[in-house]
Amino acid sequence: MFNAEKPSLEELPSSAQLIRSTVIAAVGAVVILVTVVLPAEYGVDPTGVGRALGLAEMGEIKQELQREAEEDAQQHSAITAPSLADILSELFVSKAHAEEVWRDTVVFTLAPGASAEIKMVMAEGDVADYVWTAEGGRINFDLHAHGGGQSVTYDKGRGKTEGDGSISAPFPGEHGWFWRNRDKQDVTITLQVRGSYSEIKETY
Amino acid sequence: MPLVLLTALVLSAGQALAHAVTAGDAGYIQEIWGVNLIPFTYLGAKHMVTGYDHILFLLGVVFFLYKMKDVAIYVSLFAIGHSVTMLAGVWFGWGVNAYIIDAIIGLSVVYKALDNLGAYQRWFGFQPNTKAATLIFGLFHGTGLATKILDYDIPEEGLLPNLLAFNVGVEIGQILALAVILIVMGYWRRSPSFFRQAYTANVVMMSLGFMLMGFQITGYFVAV
Repeated sequence: MFNAEKPSLEELPSSAQLIRSTVIAAVGAVVILVTVVLPAEYGVDPTGVGRALGLAEMGEIKQELQREAEEDAQQHSAITAPSLADILSELFVSKAHAEEVWRDTVVFTLAPGASAEIKMVMAEGDVADYVWTAEGGRINFDLHAHGGGQSVTYDKGRGKTEGDGSISAPFPGEHGWFWRNRDKQDVTITLQVRGSYSEIKETY
Repeated sequence: MPLVLLTALVLSAGQALAHAVTAGDAGYIQEIWGVNLIPFTYLGAKHMVTGYDHILFLLGVVFFLYKMKDVAIYVSLFAIGHSVTMLAGVWFGWGVNAYIIDAIIGLSVVYKALDNLGAYQRWFGFQPNTKAATLIFGLFHGTGLATKILDYDIPEEGLLPNLLAFNVGVEIGQILALAVILIVMGYWRRSPSFFRQAYTANVVMMSLGFMLMGFQITGYFVAV
């Protein structure tokens, strides 16, 4: 029976050895938990070791994303009417008439960790062209759209400094960018757009 | 006052930015770029320690290994196997179906349990090379790891150092898991009923392997 020899007692670790190993394992587990796992999972870093290792940042980003995913789920389950903020934010769009080819130019600066959303209100079949550059650092973006319960992701990027292209709206709704600065310093983004859209909404 | 109200409104709108959020480890990885050795080492270790399929196979491999030298040899073979396909799989972007590969990983658990029970000697009259089996199934485990890493969508920038860090993490995780397994087995083997219970334990392990296979094969057909 078995593809194995029966162990002789001298081949096995002694009881004292096993108890010592268990204590070491338990203490080791607590140390790793506090210095590595809790920072990396929850951003909880009582010793500061997680921060030094760069793991506390991971935990913070994960917690932040989790929060946003929940907010996102709530937001999309409710029917959202345009808020006063949406209407007012329209006022902040600078109309760059000097630049003939581009219809709108939006310039904004994000501090590290900050995010913004720049959306174009488009009807089905509307086409918009864009070009953007980031100065001072590198930026993450998610070019996507929501509307009438539908959503689409056109493009995503991380650590980029420029981009250009064109989007064609497959459904009516808000089409545009979610920007987030994961760099160490302020990043200024200059976004230029043109095409068939009714308005630009900015959320900071 | 109206101005304050206005600011508050704009800020509250900023709290509820809507975009397709990816949470968890994948979400974190999709927010970063460049070389991040320690975070990727951590993620590799986490993947191994929380990967019950890898742990089950590892348990099967060391079940009847009493000498640390043998443990080291077999675990190294497993490590070489899974490292080769993990690195190659991610580097070349092998698009292997995760359900199929995970079903084969389930099969590796069944195989090892039967091997431990001496079934191949009983049924076929010979013992297939256990070292070769550990290495070959290691290759499949690595392919499984590669599919998970590809899902993470690691940025191109810094891919190789990050991947190597992840691999180092996988091995650290394996050593941590192994330490716990060996301590528990150490106590168990000292008990007089170990050899009797070993039969049942390997049958349970085999059952878990079948369960993993069934779970993954069903997933292949029904999961979207």
